[in-house]
Amino acid sequence: MEKKTNRAKKQEVVETEKTVENEEKASAPRRPIWTGSITIGLINVPVKLYAMIYDRGVRFHFLHKLDNQPLRYQKVCTKDEKIVPWPEVVKGYEVSKNEFVIFGKEELEAAKPESDKRIRIDKFVDYFSVDPVYFSSSYVLMPDKNNDAYSLLLQSLEKMGKAGAGRITLRTKEYPVLVHAYKGALVLTTLRYSYDVADLSGFEELKELKAPEKAELELAKKIITDLSGEFDITAYKDTYRQKVEKTIKKRLKGEAIIVEKPPKEEVKGLMVALRETLKQLEKK
Amino acid sequence: MTEKLTKVSFSNLDKILYPKLKITKAQFIEYYIKIAPKLLPFLAERPLVLTRYPNGVDKEGFYEKDAPQGMPNWVKTVKLYSETAKRNVNYILCNDLDTLIWLANLVAIEIHMPLSRLDAREKPDFAFFDIDPEPPATYEDASTVALSVKEKLDQLGLKSYVKTSGKKGLHVLIPILREPTFKETRAFVHQIGQQLAKELEIVVSEFIDTKKPNKVFVDYTQNSHGRTMVCPYSLRVTPEATVSTPLDWSDVKKKIKPAEFTIFSVPSLKKDPWKDIFENRQKLEVK
Repeated sequence: MEKKTNRAKKQEVVETEKTVENEEKASAPRRPIWTGSITIGLINVPVKLYAMIYDRGVRFHFLHKLDNQPLRYQKVCTKDEKIVPWPEVVKGYEVSKNEFVIFGKEELEAAKPESDKRIRIDKFVDYFSVDPVYFSSSYVLMPDKNNDAYSLLLQSLEKMGKAGAGRITLRTKEYPVLVHAYKGALVLTTLRYSYDVADLSGFEELKELKAPEKAELELAKKIITDLSGEFDITAYKDTYRQKVEKTIKKRLKGEAIIVEKPPKEEVKGLMVALRETLKQLEKK
Repeated sequence: MTEKLTKVSFSNLDKILYPKLKITKAQFIEYYIKIAPKLLPFLAERPLVLTRYPNGVDKEGFYEKDAPQGMPNWVKTVKLYSETAKRNVNYILCNDLDTLIWLANLVAIEIHMPLSRLDAREKPDFAFFDIDPEPPATYEDASTVALSVKEKLDQLGLKSYVKTSGKKGLHVLIPILREPTFKETRAFVHQIGQQLAKELEIVVSEFIDTKKPNKVFVDYTQNSHGRTMVCPYSLRVTPEATVSTPLDWSDVKKKIKPAEFTIFSVPSLKKDPWKDIFENRQKLEVK
C-alpha cells in the first residue's frame, strides 16, 4: 500500500508541472460567450464575443487543520446559528440598518434588462480620453459571418485612434462599453458606472495642495523625461506566484498533503457491499 | 487509508434518485453492486443501451447508446453501425464489476441488452416473448398468457424462463444454441403468438394490434438485430424502483405481484431461478 501512495504522488508532480507551464500563456477560448452585432445607426456588424481576461493569481483552498479536509461555506442564520437550506433563502435589500425590503424572484426578474443582442454605439470618442479607472473587463470581438464590416470598422478605428462608446446587455446586466482596436482585433471593454468610482472632491488633502515652484517642476519633468520608455507588461512578473509554485514543486517531491476522499457513511456502506460482491465473484 | 476496491470514484451519493421512496444514489449504486454476481453474466460481450436519469426518475432522462465523453480509459467500448441512429455508435461493453459500478455512478437506471453477442450479432442466443398487457388488461392477464406460452414451449420440449418486465408485463425467454438468425427466431416467436391468438380471446399477435385495449400483445418484434431487452435484474424507471426480476414459473402461477420486486427486496431473494439458463441452451428447430 505504501508503494501505491508514492506512485500517486509522483503522478501528481508531473501533472502539476504541466499545468504550471500551461498557465504561462493564456490560450484562446473556444466558445463565444455572446453573439450579436455592433449597431451604429443603421449599420450592423455581426460579432461573437470571447473572454480575454483571466484571473491567474495564486489560489488556495481552506482545509481543516486537524484532518486536512477541504472546507465549504454554509449559510447560517444570524439569530439561531442554524444552517439554512437554499429553498429557505430570499433576497432582501437593506434600506437602513437591519431593515430589509424583501424581493421575490419574479419582481427581480421583471426589473432585469432584456438582452437585445446588440452593442449599441452612440458616439465615437478618442480612446485615450477615457480614463482607465472606468475600465472594468475586456472581451475580444470576432467577426460573425461577415468579415467586411468588421474589417472596415477595425481599420477606421485604428487609423483614427477612436473608440466607439455605447452599451451592451450581458446576461442580465447592462454595461457602458468602449469598442476599440487592439492588436488587430476589436476589443470590447465594459466600463464602470460613474457612481462606482469615488468622487475625489471629498478628500480634504487635495484641497490643501500647494502649487510647486517653477524650478522644482522643471527638475521633476527632466527626471521623468530621462526615465521615459515603452511600456512592456511582460517586464512585470508575479513574484509571489512564482515563489509559491516553487514551494509547491518542492513539497510535492517530499511531503505534500494528499487529500483522501471523505470516508462518508454512504461510501462505507458501498464498500461493505463491494467486499461481499467481490467475494462472491471470486467463488465463481 | 482505505483499500482500493474499485476504480470508480463515487459522486453525489446523497442525491435523491427516486423521490417517492427517497432512495439515494448511494442506495442505487449499492443495489447494482449487490446484484452484480447475478447480473454480470447477462451483460458480457453485448453492446448496451442505457437510460440515464442523472437528476432522478422524476426529472428528464435520456437513452444513451454512445459512450459518454471523458469516460475512464479502462471502460471497454465497441464501434458499431446503428441502424436506428444511422451512424457509427461507440457502444459500452460491461464485462466487469468496475464498469457496472461506473454505469451506476452515471445513474444509468435501466440497462438494455441485445439478444445476441458481439461475435455473432446476427445469431441470437435467446428467443424472446415480450408479453405486454394493454389496460384494462392487467399483469394477471399477462401471467395467464405467459403460462400458455410456457405450455406451448413445453409441448415442443423447450425449457423457458420468465421474468417480470418490471412494469406491467412479463418476458419469456428460451436460451438457444446460436444457429438460427433473428429472422428465424422472430418467425418462431410470431408463430407461437399466432397460435395463442387463435386459442385465447385476450391474445393479439400482430404488430398492428399492439395498442388494442384490454388485450395482451405477444410481441415477437424484439427478436431483431439492433433491438434490445431490459436485462434481468435491471432497475426500472418507475416511482417504486421496481426490478425486472427472474421468477420461477410457480411464482407466476401464484400471481405474485411484480410491485413486490424492488430495489429493496430483490437483492435479498435467496433463489436464483435463472441460475442454469446458460447451461440450458437448446436447439431451436425452425422451419
